[in-house]
Amino acid sequence: MAKLIGGLGTSHVPSIGAAIDKGLRDTPDWKPFFDGYIPGQDWVKEHKPDVAVVIFNDHGNSFFLDKVPTFAVGCAEEYRPVDEGWGPRAIPPFRGAVDFSWHFIDTLIENRFDPMICQEIEVDHGIQVPMELFWGRPAEWPVRVVPIFVNVIQYPIPLPSRCYEMGRVLRRAIENYPTDERFVVLGTGGLSHQLQGARAGFVNPEADRAFLNDIATDPDKLARMSREQYVEMFGSEGAELMMWLVMRGAMDRDVVVRHKHYFVPASMTGAGMIVMENEKTPSPAVAA
Amino acid sequence: MDEKPEQDRIPDTPLFDRKRSLDGYRINKMAMGLSKPENREAFRQDESAYLDRFGLTPEEKEAVMTRNWREMVRLGGNLFFILKISAVDPVRITEIGAHQAGMEHDDFLRNRLGKKV
Repeated sequence: MAKLIGGLGTSHVPSIGAAIDKGLRDTPDWKPFFDGYIPGQDWVKEHKPDVAVVIFNDHGNSFFLDKVPTFAVGCAEEYRPVDEGWGPRAIPPFRGAVDFSWHFIDTLIENRFDPMICQEIEVDHGIQVPMELFWGRPAEWPVRVVPIFVNVIQYPIPLPSRCYEMGRVLRRAIENYPTDERFVVLGTGGLSHQLQGARAGFVNPEADRAFLNDIATDPDKLARMSREQYVEMFGSEGAELMMWLVMRGAMDRDVVVRHKHYFVPASMTGAGMIVMENEKTPSPAVAA
Repeated sequence: MDEKPEQDRIPDTPLFDRKRSLDGYRINKMAMGLSKPENREAFRQDESAYLDRFGLTPEEKEAVMTRNWREMVRLGGNLFFILKISAVDPVRITEIGAHQAGMEHDDFLRNRLGKKV
């Protein structure tokens, strides 16, 4: 059966992608941010996952307000970068894990989650940036992806506890999948930031650091929080953080934190990264 | 039903709820259009005519044409959509933030984001 080898969390700020595109990686503004991801990239190189399930939100690029799925799952052969206004970014398309995607959708429905099913869809920085942060800029991605889109923009957005529960179903789907593939799950978004209203520019480093602890040690607490509490604590767009709960819900209660990084501000955002493995089944590195 | 907009519970934090989505549909649809190169070109050539294609009211047009971000948001514009205007007429997201916060850009970077400037 397939195996979950790790849970990764990261911000997905679009300026990170723009900084890579413009060659700003080693400028004083960005170097400390990018350097913090090196251990995460090394972990990925050493553990060689076959499939990455990436939970993120579309930012008004693949979906408009005419149709807003609360949860959507991609089951496409390929996901091309979408034109967000500046032209599609010059990064390779992501290859899909089509068979697993359908298996996951089946498992969701059987467990009373009813997602939108997407056989053709382009993807925005919400998935691009996390992939670049962990896998760099390969000519071709060495891992196939399963995108899970969560609506965190148009209210009513889903409950944090619902995201957590979806993670449990994802875990079941991975462990019932009859291959020996190695899976990682990426929860993305956040940490604190606010782009709209007179509180724009709100960041909360203290709450962000606490979140990076709690996501490992006390995820139940984070799952019990209300949507309003997320907005109050992390800003209106910081509510994206609830998507990390899908990743966390897929993991065991007890995890080991392999790497963690925090940097503020990346553009207007408190940016965080974490790499976790299940404590009972840690994942040895794979020989090159 | 009470006609007055419900007060946001978290101060200065407009959640994109039903009312804002309905109010802002035209502005957001117009901005969404800018994800197509031909629409970006149309916006560049004749902004007023491009906005008219989406039926913007005079108030909405004024907000867009004067790049009044605070007003666009007040009218139901959502940053993720209206940000695409900055792909045609470049402005940094921190400037959009500072404008909404009613602060000078450097003050915004310093006092909100904790940057040393």
